Amino acid sequence: MLARRRPAGPGPTALLLVALLAAEARASWLIRRPLSPSGPELRQAARAALHFFNYRAASPSTVRVLKEVLNGTALIREEGENIKVAFSIESYRTENSQLGTCSALVGFKDHKSRPTVNISCTPLLDQKERKKEDYKLYKQIKQLETPPFETTIPGKLGDMDPSLQPLWELAMIGNSFLMWEKTTSTSSYYYVQQITNIKKWIRPDDFIILHYRLLLHEFRTQEIISCHLHLVWHPEKPSKTQYHCQDSGTQENGSGNSEGSGFL
Amino acid sequence: MKKLLWTICLLGILFPPKFGLKVQHDGISAKNGHGMLEKKESSRSNLENYDYTKYHPIEEIYKWMSQIEERYSEVVTQHFLGMTYKARPMYYLKISEPTSTLKKIFWMDCGIHAREWITPAFCQWFVKEILQNYKTDPRISRFLRKVDFYILPVLNIDGYVYSWRKDRFWRKSRSSHNNGTCFGTDLNRNFNISWCNVGASKNCTHQTFCGTGPVSESETKAVSSFIEDKKDSILCYLTIHSYGQFILTPYSFTKTKPSNYDELIRIGQKAAKELKAKHGSNYKVGSTSDMLYFTSGNSRDWAYHIGIPFAYTFELRDNGTYKFTLPEDQIQPTCEETMAAVLSIYDDIYEREWGFNEVVFTSATMRLSVFLFFMLFF
Repeated sequence: MLARRRPAGPGPTALLLVALLAAEARASWLIRRPLSPSGPELRQAARAALHFFNYRAASPSTVRVLKEVLNGTALIREEGENIKVAFSIESYRTENSQLGTCSALVGFKDHKSRPTVNISCTPLLDQKERKKEDYKLYKQIKQLETPPFETTIPGKLGDMDPSLQPLWELAMIGNSFLMWEKTTSTSSYYYVQQITNIKKWIRPDDFIILHYRLLLHEFRTQEIISCHLHLVWHPEKPSKTQYHCQDSGTQENGSGNSEGSGFL
Repeated sequence: MKKLLWTICLLGILFPPKFGLKVQHDGISAKNGHGMLEKKESSRSNLENYDYTKYHPIEEIYKWMSQIEERYSEVVTQHFLGMTYKARPMYYLKISEPTSTLKKIFWMDCGIHAREWITPAFCQWFVKEILQNYKTDPRISRFLRKVDFYILPVLNIDGYVYSWRKDRFWRKSRSSHNNGTCFGTDLNRNFNISWCNVGASKNCTHQTFCGTGPVSESETKAVSSFIEDKKDSILCYLTIHSYGQFILTPYSFTKTKPSNYDELIRIGQKAAKELKAKHGSNYKVGSTSDMLYFTSGNSRDWAYHIGIPFAYTFELRDNGTYKFTLPEDQIQPTCEETMAAVLSIYDDIYEREWGFNEVVFTSATMRLSVFLFFMLFF
C-alpha cells in the first residue's frame, strides 16, 4: 500500500530564504510603490527633473515646460525615494508647438532639497537650429536697453512686451537652477511669478550678466518668496547662477554652474 | 390636407422652438415713463460696452452689478450679504425666473483669494452668458424653471482692492492682527471644518493663516451664515479659484472619501471632458487631498459637510506659465471652457433631480417622429 504523501509545508530553511530575499530586495530598492500619473508625487518628480534639465541645458530658446505625466513608480530606499517618471513636454515658445518626451530618475532624500536627477529628453530642435536660436536671443539681449527698475515681467495684467521676452527666457535658466535646488519630496514646489529690478551688463569676454529680483510662488504654503539672482551666460560656454532668497525670515544662498550647450 | 396637417404636427415635434406651440412666460415687466426708459437706455449702452475680456477693479464690478440688475430686472436682483473687514458691502446676484414653485439653488462664489483675478472675471462672464441666453437657449431656460442662480463675483473684496492698489500677489483678507503688525486671514482656511488642523498656519504673517478662530472673519461669517440658512435649498456649491487646472471634490483635510465620491468624480470627469473639447485644456479631477495637498477650513469642505450634496472647487488656468497674472487674451477661452464644465455639472445634477419629470426632446421622440413620417407618406 502506497502511503499518500501530503505536500510538505514550507520548512524553516525556506522561510529563512524568503526573509533574506526580502531584506535584500529592500536593500536593492526593489520595493515599488505604484503611483498615479495624475497624482502630485509624479508631477513633483517631473517638475524637479525638468528644472534640472532646463538649468543644465542653459538654452533659453528651448526651455521646456511640463505637459503631461505619462507614468511612473516610486522605488523606496532607506533614506528616501527614487522616482522613475516619464512625461511629455512642450516648448515654452508656444508658437513653435513642439512636443517631446522625457524620462527621468529623481532621487529624493527625506526632507532634503537638491534631488539627484538623471534625465534624458527628446530634442526639440536639432543642434544647429538650437544654436542659431540661442545666438539670436543673445544678440537681442545685447542690443536691448535695460528696462526701468520697476518694470515687472510679466505685468500686473499678465502682459509681456515682446521685446522683453528674451530677458524672461534667459532668466528661466537661473530660475530653473533655483527651483531645482529648493524642490523637496514633501511637495513644496515652486513657480516663477515675476521678475523685476533687472540689470544687464556685457562682460569684456562677451558673457551676459543678468541681475534681477524674482518672485517665486510656493504652491503648498502659497507663499511668495523674494530672491535675488545673478546669472552669467553665454550661448556656448558654461554659465553660472548665484542666488539669495528671503524665505519667511530665513536667508538662503546658493550657486551652481550649468554646462552650456555641452549638456545636450 | 390630412398629410399637410400631419406634417405640421411632425414639424412641431421635431422643431418645437420654431413651429411648436408653447406658452412662453413673458417676464418683461411693464415699465412706463420716459425717464425710466432713458435710464434703461443709458445703462444698457454701458453694459453693451462692458468688456468681459478685461480685468476690472472693484469700482467697475460694483457698477456692473447695478447695471445688470437694472437691465435684466425681470430675473436679476442684487442682494446684500454682509460687510468686509474694511466695511465694504458684499453683494451677490440672484438670477431667478419668478414662478410660484419653490426653487433649488446653485451657488457660485469667486475671488475668495485676492490675486486670482481670472475668477471674478469668470463669475461676471457666467452671469452675462446666463442672462444673454436664458430666453433662447433651452438648456439654460430649463435650469431656471427649477433653480435660482446665486453668484458672488468677489468674496474677498478688501483683498481684491489691495491686489489692485498695493500688492498684486496678495491672497488673504485685510483684517488687522497683533496690534496692526500683521494683516490678513486666508478666508479659505477660516471655515468651520476641521479648522486649522492641517495645511494652515497659526502665524498671521503666513499666507495660509487660518484666523483667530473658525469663522473669525466678517467675510467668512457673511457667507457661512447665509449658506447655513439656505442649506436645504442649495443643491450645488461651486467655489472658483486659480491656478492649476483642477476640478476638486471633498475632502482636503483627509483622504477619506465623501459618501457620493464616485458620483462626484463621474460628474467631474464628464465636466473636464466638456471643458477640454472647447480649447484643449487638460483639467485633472479628484479630491483635494489626493490631487494637491492637505488643508483644512476651506469653504467647499464646509459646504459639503453641512449637507450640500454637490460641492466642487475649480482651479482655473493656467498650469504654471503665467499663474495669477493670466494674460487678458486668455480670459475669453478660459471662461468659455469653464462655462462648458459648469453647465455640464448643472446638467448632471438637473437630470438626477428632475430628469424623469420633464418631457424632454430625446432621440426616442425623434425616432418615433421619423417612423410616423414614413408611415404616412410611404
